[in-house]
Amino acid sequence: MTLSFFDQFMSPTLFSIPLMALALTLPWILYPPPSAQWINNRMITLQAWFINRFTQQLLLPLNIGGHKWAALMASLMIFLISLNLLGLLPYTFTPTTQLSLNMSLAVPLWLGTVLIGMQNQPTIALGHLLPEGTPAPLIPVLIIIETISLFIRPLALGVRLTANLTAGHLLIQLIATAAFVLMPLMPTVAIITTIILFLLTLLEIAVAMIQAYVFVLLLSLYLQENI
Amino acid sequence: MLSRVVFVSANAVKSSGSVGAGLVQLSHLHTSPNSQAPVPPLPEKGGKTRHGFIPEELFQLLYPKTGVTGPYMLGTGLLTYLLSKEIYIVNHETVAAACMGAIIIYGVKKFGPDVGAFADKLNEEKVQKAAEVKTLAMASLAQAIEDEKKEQWRIDGRQMLFDAKRNNVAMLLETNRRERVHMVNNEVKKRLDYQIALQTLHRRLEQEHMVNWVEKNVVSSITPQQEKASIAKCITDLKSLAKIQQAKATV
Repeated sequence: MTLSFFDQFMSPTLFSIPLMALALTLPWILYPPPSAQWINNRMITLQAWFINRFTQQLLLPLNIGGHKWAALMASLMIFLISLNLLGLLPYTFTPTTQLSLNMSLAVPLWLGTVLIGMQNQPTIALGHLLPEGTPAPLIPVLIIIETISLFIRPLALGVRLTANLTAGHLLIQLIATAAFVLMPLMPTVAIITTIILFLLTLLEIAVAMIQAYVFVLLLSLYLQENI
Repeated sequence: MLSRVVFVSANAVKSSGSVGAGLVQLSHLHTSPNSQAPVPPLPEKGGKTRHGFIPEELFQLLYPKTGVTGPYMLGTGLLTYLLSKEIYIVNHETVAAACMGAIIIYGVKKFGPDVGAFADKLNEEKVQKAAEVKTLAMASLAQAIEDEKKEQWRIDGRQMLFDAKRNNVAMLLETNRRERVHMVNNEVKKRLDYQIALQTLHRRLEQEHMVNWVEKNVVSSITPQQEKASIAKCITDLKSLAKIQQAKATV
């Protein structure tokens, strides 16, 4: 019952009570905690296998100091992937389409990695500002460029997630509207549009999972540089 | 199915602290006397569902009153009511939902059994590792029993071993004794032989001495006259013999 295409991106409220907290915490019920049984049911087994496998893969290139971030990254991944995938259902609100949420995830985590690097190994952290093997005349320019690239990282992290999801949701809405409107007028074109919508939905499912993974992967990369 | 989600999450939330305190006071509603009894075994599989998302319990609930088609009529009626009263409005979201629903149903139908089999395999491996430990332990214990029985059989045979050893020792002692007896015999015989040899020697010496004395005496007792008489006798004997011989030779 959206009036415009952008109502889906408005923070949900019910009688002026903001429901954002509910939207952020409701995906929690989809993940039952591992029970005290030794052999669990299929869902818990698969969940445990996925989280173990994912964390192991993600932490492969990190040294021991980076392993402290394992819980944070695994939970971030589960959080993002469930928010993204649940948002593909109709009439749902996707919190990750809000720039505020994504920036509030990206900036502190990125800043954390930078500060850890500056505190523990300042020389190496600053050394990342100059790639190896640059010719001597380019050094000043390159340092400025690398500094800008360093500070753009949190922006890129947040905006990448926001833009991908928002664009995807908007496209689904638009093409679905096109198909819906065309159905009584030109059924054949409507069918073609529905096929496009089908493919787009497939893409959006993929994008939802990939964007969550890319967010966490890039964060682990920034951590790897600095820890 | 969603009711189960609520129950599970309610349990999880109840045990998790700050919100749980408010829910604890509801537990006295479980008034059965054996609420502290050992927990009955948990079911292995989840609840049965019809068409993937409608719990079977609904059909069981409505069966006495409305038969087999009851829940389906309920669903159709509900849907028609929502659509006709425009409580659920068909708009572009419906089209998007249809696409999404098609993809989800296709995915579940195609990959569902494989994913379930994979999860079962993970659990199977876990159970198998434990079962392997158990069978290994049982095998090693059975082997220990076998070894123990063999040791007991060996101990039974120990008596025979001792008897054989005792026999051996007795034989050695006997052999030793006989050897020594033999030696004693030999020594005694040597002593006696020596005495015999001594006596024989004595007798021979006496005999020789006697013979020598007799000879000496005889030789010394022969006077020159007797010597001449014996030589003359010998000559005459020789002459007579020579005549006889000649006589034989010419005949």
